[in-house]
Amino acid sequence: MKLLIVEDEKELAENMASYLKNENYTCEVAFNFKQALDKIETSDYECIALDITLPGGSGMQLLKELKNNKKADGVIIISAKDSINDRINGLRLGADDYLVKPFHLSELAARINAIIRRKMYNGNNIIRFNEIFIDTLAKEVKVKEDRIELTRKEYELLVYLLSNQRRVISKNALISHLWSQEMGTGESADIIYTHIKNLRKKLNEKGCGDYIRSLYGMGYKLTDQ
Amino acid sequence: MKLQAQYNKISIASSILVLLIAGAGYYFLLQYVLKEQLDESLRVEQVEIQDFIKTKHALPPATTYKDQRIEFIKSDRIFPQSFRTLTLYNADEKDNELSRQLNFNVEVNGQYYTASVTKSQEETKEIIGAILIFTLGLIILLSILLFVANRFLVKRMWGSFQATLTSIKNFDLNAPSAIKTEKSDIHEFNELNENISMMTEKVVNDYISLKNFTDHASHEMQTPLAVVNSKLDILIQDPALSEKNLQDLQVIYDAVDKMSKLSQSLLLLARIENNQYSEKQEVDIPVIVKNIIQELEEWIIEKSLIIKNEISVLKINMNSQLANTLIANLVINAIKHSSRPETILLSSDKNKFAIINPGLKALDGDRIFDRFWKSEYSDGTGLGLAIAKQICDYYGFLLQYEFKKGSHHFSIIF
Repeated sequence: MKLLIVEDEKELAENMASYLKNENYTCEVAFNFKQALDKIETSDYECIALDITLPGGSGMQLLKELKNNKKADGVIIISAKDSINDRINGLRLGADDYLVKPFHLSELAARINAIIRRKMYNGNNIIRFNEIFIDTLAKEVKVKEDRIELTRKEYELLVYLLSNQRRVISKNALISHLWSQEMGTGESADIIYTHIKNLRKKLNEKGCGDYIRSLYGMGYKLTDQ
Repeated sequence: MKLQAQYNKISIASSILVLLIAGAGYYFLLQYVLKEQLDESLRVEQVEIQDFIKTKHALPPATTYKDQRIEFIKSDRIFPQSFRTLTLYNADEKDNELSRQLNFNVEVNGQYYTASVTKSQEETKEIIGAILIFTLGLIILLSILLFVANRFLVKRMWGSFQATLTSIKNFDLNAPSAIKTEKSDIHEFNELNENISMMTEKVVNDYISLKNFTDHASHEMQTPLAVVNSKLDILIQDPALSEKNLQDLQVIYDAVDKMSKLSQSLLLLARIENNQYSEKQEVDIPVIVKNIIQELEEWIIEKSLIIKNEISVLKINMNSQLANTLIANLVINAIKHSSRPETILLSSDKNKFAIINPGLKALDGDRIFDRFWKSEYSDGTGLGLAIAKQICDYYGFLLQYEFKKGSHHFSIIF
């Protein structure tokens, strides 16, 4: 599967590519309007991460181009502008999601995964990690064949961990993913710790392996290695 | 004192003063001229008497005619002629009259006489009296004229100035409309109007560019922050990092988080000022409160707080995003500053929303809503309450803080 990153800030574009690259995805990068247009015209991508302000043109223009050519590429807009109007405009032009800078790479990965899952019509709405299965349509979690009951936040936390499996996710990324509202920084570590503890306990009760690793409370990683 | 009153006072007082001086001048001048004239006529009489004696060698008859009286009294000595002013009884008028008398020596057949010619000065007095009355009349007339002229004429002349003043009073930098000025006949007022128009235009432009600057600066900060964030996200993947490294990275993460929250908050403030949240709808406050509490549930549980939600029906016509920010900022503020397990009370009234949480001591009520003001315990951006205040100001709501019976009371009067 191929991803395209259209972002004029080279450092950011390369960081995004290096994080998203794994056994399933290959990543291509375009730094300006023309490069992006060439790439879009010559190949198909599973998902495109698209910056709005580009040298040589607007990301919105690229989006129109895609839709005119009836391309099915998923699009996530990445913008420094967080205004309702831009968001509505982007989504109306056919973007699948809208992410505001600055963001965490784990958040970008989770959102791109969600877009790709939705794009697949063959009923592939299952995220899997060893014996853990998440049905994202039914919002159900199973360990092998056993269903487990999770709270809304525990469910979101597990989906996020599975979307970023085998990578370290910072505590800050988890917090901003789970809570839209600002919380005291000192206290949020405790809240995350409590949630991880509860989730781990519920998984272990069903005989699931202990996959969640903590890096001294500053980050977490779902891994079997 | 109004300019007009001040002007009236000065112009009327100076006019009266000039008229009084002129009146007094007239009085003395006329008195002098008339006296000289009277003395001249007395001297003419003297010459006539002397001529009569020279030709007839006899005294003319003593006469009293109209205001003139001629008398002769025997005298044994010679004295120089002299004028004097005296009061004489007038039998006709039955009155004492001020008179002018000329005394001189005449000699008839070796006998000396003192001749005296007297003329009444009443006429002079009358003339002077008439002049005084005339002058007084002038003073009164002039005062009335000046007063009336100032009242109506000057009022009309200042009309353009008043219009400009009203326009300046109604000027609002947040909703600038051009200063309305009236064309005036007075050059100075036109000049004033021109300069005010130019000045306000410049102020408005500067203000707009300042507001846009905040907007742009916040935007421009997002990309570098995104670079830092993404670099950190890559960096923590490195399995060789020590605990110390990770703790240091955590500090950087937190600082970047804070900076991006800061820039987002500044952006929000700039946007409210720039009127970018003009869309309105009927917002159901109880629903918003419920959602916020649900969103913050884990935090509330973690801090062992109890939220007592007594909000009943409350519908406000405003932007839903701002309503959410407003209520959330107040609720978050209360949760953040609750250090012990305690109860936060949310209540509402017909047009009032209140949030009460126990506290140790009163906060600085004058500065609590200032941008970047922080209590000693706060680790936030110092913009949460400033944003709440800005939203309230935008809609004309009243946001109040009070410390009563060991509790912080924040309330919004819609």
